[in-house]
Amino acid sequence: MADRTAHVTWSGSLMEGSGTITSVESGAFGPLDVTWAARAEDDAAGLTSPEELIAAAHAACFSMALSHGLAQAGTPPDKLDVDATLTFVPGTGITKVALTVHGEVPGLDAAAFVEAAETAKDNCPVSKALAAVPEITVEASLA
Amino acid sequence: VPRIVREAEIDWEGTTARGSGVVRAASTGSFELSATIASRIEVIEGKTSPEELLAAAHATCFVTSLGSELARLGNPPEHMHVRCTITMDEVEGAGHQIVSSDIAARAVVPGADEATLAAATEAADAGCPFSALIRATATVSVEAVLEGGNS
Repeated sequence: MADRTAHVTWSGSLMEGSGTITSVESGAFGPLDVTWAARAEDDAAGLTSPEELIAAAHAACFSMALSHGLAQAGTPPDKLDVDATLTFVPGTGITKVALTVHGEVPGLDAAAFVEAAETAKDNCPVSKALAAVPEITVEASLA
Repeated sequence: VPRIVREAEIDWEGTTARGSGVVRAASTGSFELSATIASRIEVIEGKTSPEELLAAAHATCFVTSLGSELARLGNPPEHMHVRCTITMDEVEGAGHQIVSSDIAARAVVPGADEATLAAATEAADAGCPFSALIRATATVSVEAVLEGGNS
């Protein structure tokens, strides 16, 4: 079992106030500032948001699952570049996560890479946690 | 209401067991962090993990919802502190899963009583998009207390 904890503080109202992800257990990041405007408007102005953090979590989880699956199949990857793009509609919620992966995998053909990517997408713990998202997609290509 | 798109990317070198990755906020450039499987399941050593990023996301999502609900009830908060703990565990027959997200909030809310805070907390949990999502597959618990400064 693994627990991970994050701390956030917020001062003032939603629209005019602002918050800070003050610290996380690992100490790997923080403080990171957040505002409603940065979350809800197209121009994030260099500030992160819950949706961006979820995108980062999903990209990291998927890359670990895919790397693990490829190694277990006897074709460990040299390198995987993963993007996760998350779409959030205020009032509706998170409607889509689009994963893309570009891999360098010695000895593997494109069809097998796509299959491994689909398996990782379906089974990584963050995908499972986001199972209620209407659409999660993955596009996979080899270098 | 506008659609909002946020993007992150990770480069992973080598296998899961021995390799490592760097995860970046592609939308904003606001963070660039290293991650390893060891930091995810064992000793943390200052590196982040998907679960820690989810904890940060849920804490941030919930705090904005709570502030919004308190304001709606006529008691805008002065200050709120939220801690979120995400737990991943091995579930028999289902592999590793995120099994729970636990939120603990402290708020300085002039004029608010515990009943107001409780009502706002319940509404914030219902309104936070991430609470709604993760509740489909994991347990979400939320508790909130008033702290000094309220009258």
